[in-house]
Amino acid sequence: MSGGAAAWIGRGGLALLGAALLAVPFVLPELGYGFWVNIVTEILIWSLLAASVNLLFGYVGLLSFGQALFFGFGMYGATLAVIHWEAGFWTGLLAGTLAATAMAAVAGALAVRLTWHYFAIITVVFSLIFYFAAMSNKTLTGGDDGLSFSAPAVFDMAGVTVTLADPLAQYFSVLGVVAACYAIMGVVVRSPLGLAFAAVRENDRRARLIGIDVYRTRLVAFVLAGALAGVSGALFAFFGRYASASYMVYHVSGEAVVWAIVGGIGTLLGPLFGTALLIVFRELVSTVWENYLFAVGGLTVLVVMFAPLGLAGLWRGALGRLTAPRAAPAEAPADPVAPSADARAVPGGR
Amino acid sequence: MLSVAGLTADIGRIPVLKGVSISVAPGETVALLGRNGVGKTSTLRAVLGLLRRTGGSVSYQGQDLGGLAPHRLAALGLGYVPQGRGIFPLLTVEDNLCLGLKGKPPADLFAELYERFPRLAERRRQAAGTLSGGEQQILAIARCLIMRPSLIMLDEPTEGIMPKLVSQIRTEIAAIAKRGIAVLIVEQNLRTALRLADRVYLMERGQVVHEATPAALRETPDTVHRYLGVAL
Repeated sequence: MSGGAAAWIGRGGLALLGAALLAVPFVLPELGYGFWVNIVTEILIWSLLAASVNLLFGYVGLLSFGQALFFGFGMYGATLAVIHWEAGFWTGLLAGTLAATAMAAVAGALAVRLTWHYFAIITVVFSLIFYFAAMSNKTLTGGDDGLSFSAPAVFDMAGVTVTLADPLAQYFSVLGVVAACYAIMGVVVRSPLGLAFAAVRENDRRARLIGIDVYRTRLVAFVLAGALAGVSGALFAFFGRYASASYMVYHVSGEAVVWAIVGGIGTLLGPLFGTALLIVFRELVSTVWENYLFAVGGLTVLVVMFAPLGLAGLWRGALGRLTAPRAAPAEAPADPVAPSADARAVPGGR
Repeated sequence: MLSVAGLTADIGRIPVLKGVSISVAPGETVALLGRNGVGKTSTLRAVLGLLRRTGGSVSYQGQDLGGLAPHRLAALGLGYVPQGRGIFPLLTVEDNLCLGLKGKPPADLFAELYERFPRLAERRRQAAGTLSGGEQQILAIARCLIMRPSLIMLDEPTEGIMPKLVSQIRTEIAAIAKRGIAVLIVEQNLRTALRLADRVYLMERGQVVHEATPAALRETPDTVHRYLGVAL
């Protein structure tokens, strides 16, 4: 088999994933696992937060521990729009995304001047400042108690109103938005801008010398990642009909980093797999073992040490072994540990 | 085209350039020669703004480069192939070539480039880091050419390259010059420099100490021995 076969298997896998996600709200309740439809919805939503970490860390080389800030802005943008302007799902989603994007533009203008641990620290600092501000400004945010609202309309036309209270409407609204976000991300990372991201990640000095504005490239990535986190936050607010400042704390960002790393940084769908694995793990284990996070920590260490490209890397490796011509050695990148250019691909193809 | 006058630069508190003045005319090939550590690479880095300039001036096509960010120089037509190639080893050959371009590359551009560099065509889907040193150098030069520069600065292009490929790289540089692109080359290999250059600057301790044509330099072997420590 050849690289073409690998691409076909990858496309097949992607189609299978799409079909499975479409079938979830019909099949799981029939099997008596209706509760898991909500878990899948939650996985889809949180995976966007992990994807925002991945966009920055995996594609541009900036490790952010502050994505919860933009998640919170998305959450409150949507919630406040629904409460004060009686916005529907789509308007609220737009308000949340715009709030997070604007915040990301402001924070990013300062943060992307720094790299490595300095960047990580400043993102935590930004997140903490706004976390404490949100916790103390109870009039606006409700603080730790948060704000709640009723399920808004997803569709309201010609006398027909469908709200998020309809489980199918909620699931497919979330799935549609999440799929659109991944599709947009896929287009971005394969565009000249995505190539500039990779160049900046690999060597910012060299990138500068071939005419890439490193600051602007990092800022664009930061704002895009902020927007993704904002979409995630807005969807989560709609999912729970609730927004709380407690979601803006840094350990929410930390969880997203872990999901992204376990799933596979520098791969498009890795964060989805990582989020799925760890949320399912949480649901199964947390009921019997309170300190299940020890196991999550151990798993993360193992992944970093033995599978630096995470679940997506393992999938791609298996696919590569399956499809590589036996006679000719596979053309591998020089550094097997670092994310390769090929790491920009969807696991197993595009 | 490129005019450097009285350029001074420090690394930390140590002055590495002490008033360097050089010029490159359109279509001319100029070589900077000197022993290790005399300031050849530092001169290129200071021209590009990668090394903080403390004095003097650098202008390119009449425009003062003082205060201009390094990423703006490529748009002015100033290409640079750094020491150690400066490619992106984890990206594919084709991705490396596309990096210099805004938007989608025109197909004929690649066709022309691959006709000229068939080895790159064969390996265009391969990670650039898996190419040999000589092929990486060719890739670095090709990537620079794809941006259609009017001046290319090459830092030690034959360093660490197997002798068989040195002549190929020399041929490529000569071909660049024939196309009317000015070349400023820093080179330890005296033979290569004298064969390619129209003019040569000799450097010592952060200063230009001698300027000559290759023919004139060949007639003064004492000067070559004094500043480069080698016999012609």
